[in-house]
Amino acid sequence: MTMKRFWILFTTELKAWRSDPIATMGGLIPPTFMLIAFGLLFGGRLTFKVALLDYDQGPYGEVLRQAFDSTISPFGTPYYDLYDLPADQAWDEYRAHRIDGIWVIPADFSERLASGRDPAIEMHFGNYNDDRAKNHRIYAAEILWTFYERIGQPGPPLALAEEYPHAEMIDWFPVIAVGLVLLSFVLGGMINMFMLTQKEQVAQITLEFGLAPRSLAWVLLPKTLLALLMGLLTGTVLMGIVYLWLGVWPGRFLWAVWVLAGLVILFWVPLTLLFGLRAQYFAGVIATILTGMTVFFVGGGLSMVRYNRENVPWFSWLFPNTYAVDPVRDLVLFNTWPADWALTLLVLIGFAAVSLLVGFSLAARQLRRVG
Amino acid sequence: MARFRMLLVNEFKLFRTGIPIHLVAILQPTVMYLLLTVILVHPTFDMYVDRPSTEEGRALVSAMREVGSPIGAPYINPILIDWDGASVSRQVIAVEERDGVTTAVQHYGLIDSNLVKNFRNRLTAAALRLWNADLGARAVTVEEYAWLPQDVPYSLYFGMALLPMTAFLAASIMGAILTAQEFEFRTIVEYQLAPASISLVLGARLARLVLSALIAAAILLVTVGLVTGYWPGSLLEVALILLPVAVIAGCLGVLAGLLTRKSIPAFLVGLVGSFVGWVLGSGFGLAAGFGHSYEFISRLTPFTHATELLFSNYYGAEIGHPLASILYLSLGGVVMLVLAGLAYRWRVMRQE
Repeated sequence: MTMKRFWILFTTELKAWRSDPIATMGGLIPPTFMLIAFGLLFGGRLTFKVALLDYDQGPYGEVLRQAFDSTISPFGTPYYDLYDLPADQAWDEYRAHRIDGIWVIPADFSERLASGRDPAIEMHFGNYNDDRAKNHRIYAAEILWTFYERIGQPGPPLALAEEYPHAEMIDWFPVIAVGLVLLSFVLGGMINMFMLTQKEQVAQITLEFGLAPRSLAWVLLPKTLLALLMGLLTGTVLMGIVYLWLGVWPGRFLWAVWVLAGLVILFWVPLTLLFGLRAQYFAGVIATILTGMTVFFVGGGLSMVRYNRENVPWFSWLFPNTYAVDPVRDLVLFNTWPADWALTLLVLIGFAAVSLLVGFSLAARQLRRVG
Repeated sequence: MARFRMLLVNEFKLFRTGIPIHLVAILQPTVMYLLLTVILVHPTFDMYVDRPSTEEGRALVSAMREVGSPIGAPYINPILIDWDGASVSRQVIAVEERDGVTTAVQHYGLIDSNLVKNFRNRLTAAALRLWNADLGARAVTVEEYAWLPQDVPYSLYFGMALLPMTAFLAASIMGAILTAQEFEFRTIVEYQLAPASISLVLGARLARLVLSALIAAAILLVTVGLVTGYWPGSLLEVALILLPVAVIAGCLGVLAGLLTRKSIPAFLVGLVGSFVGWVLGSGFGLAAGFGHSYEFISRLTPFTHATELLFSNYYGAEIGHPLASILYLSLGGVVMLVLAGLAYRWRVMRQE
């Protein structure tokens, strides 16, 4: 009897969803468009486009040019894409901001270098963004380091070496893509909850809920379960799109991704339910979707949280996405079991439990009061 | 004129029926800006260094402190720690003897190629200073010719490029929701029966949307100014640049509401249009710098044109083709007005 009641309410919610499946798309469309946009921005070659105007009369200008090509960044590409352009065109392109800078090697460069008379090169670059200006300056150091080695300058007083914890390094766009997958899981659940709550408010079914002689948990649980399932569906669809684009997929760890994402959804869904019950004309859904997007940005959506703890603002730790996003990246990007799985799971269960408890209690109170 | 005034007053009265929607639409970008400025890239990086015990190590730390912009921020904040060789969470630099060579070894705890690149480049820049000092007159000097007299914080560009998005978001989602709700609550019948022309009804709605959009943008403009210390040269010019953006967005919202007649899909059109347009429309950097394909797509949006026009107001340097951008925004506004009028006639006036 108990299960039957639950099933009746669940199928009722499902029918309400089927009449307006746009709710599912709402959880999919924004992250998909953001994926495309970020892919266009960061999915390509992250190099600086510069023109090299080599007026050098000697051999070192050409060696410097070769240093540009042979100095490889951790992205696996050179720091610079050199453009062979006539001087006039190079300056035009630079002024139009189609290239990032121009290096000018003067005619006496080799002669001054050979005779030890302060050789110099010119570096013209844009600095409307101080971070990109910084890159120009510190990339130049990499080029010169290679150049010195190639021309046989006396060795540096301090050699350089690096050691990594893993042989594999991950690029930026896949890191962002998994952040968007988590956003899609969350938005999918939230929008479904809003849609159903709004429909019930408009149709005044909430009034019937309020008058029900049974516990309101029977009403809230099917809604939450449906929102959870729809969130998992939208997130998995976006994960499929990411697989087609980047070739990353959790494989046998798919269930673990669902567990982590499901717990994050269970944190947001009760809050969405509260907004849905209180906000007129789904103002709450707007606030929560935009908040979801903001949470993506500040909750580790753009970079690995684990290695940037000191840069993660305090308020980001107030929601579960920040804790879940890196373990999900472990599973999706590396197919490895997260070292902090147990701790993460406990934290997420805590978040979900508190949210469900508070959300259901307040929602039940609200429904009874309306009734 | 009296009828238009009444319609306009009625539009503003609608504010009371959806205060949360209006507050969200107007304030959300500013809240997002404030939150994101906390995590936006900053040139100065904390870098952990195992407390040096040798002359080379101490020289490296000194060199690290000198790495930076001559017209901006330092790039390295070296933090000395007593490292016991245990696993590393982020990175630590230790000066060690390797095969008889004194070596600065950067031990990473991370595998994010972007961060590795940043740490590697900074260490190289510091070590190169030591090498250059050793080489003396044989060292190559890089003479810098920066475009602007000062390096400008990225938070300024980010905030400036958010202004068109702010105006767009406010006008489009408010226009979408209010129009769709006319159908949902059947108040559209009043417009069908009213002896008012399309231009009056749409004009009042758009005037209200544009004003709301400009208020939203003004709040963000003040916030960006307070955070960065940079203000536009002319507030009037900023308002004139954002005006057609708001008109285009308001028309898009009205169109979405008229065509879908449902709040959620109409709202999604406004939301997705705003965010995608922002990301594709020079939201993170000048469009020309991201390649021909991006620039081509970017110039189809009003965001890039508005951002380029705003640029000269904030940076004092002209970019793009101002006349072409003004023309694009003006024509875009007119085309969207015509489309909104046609859609209104089709969906409202001719509806039985």
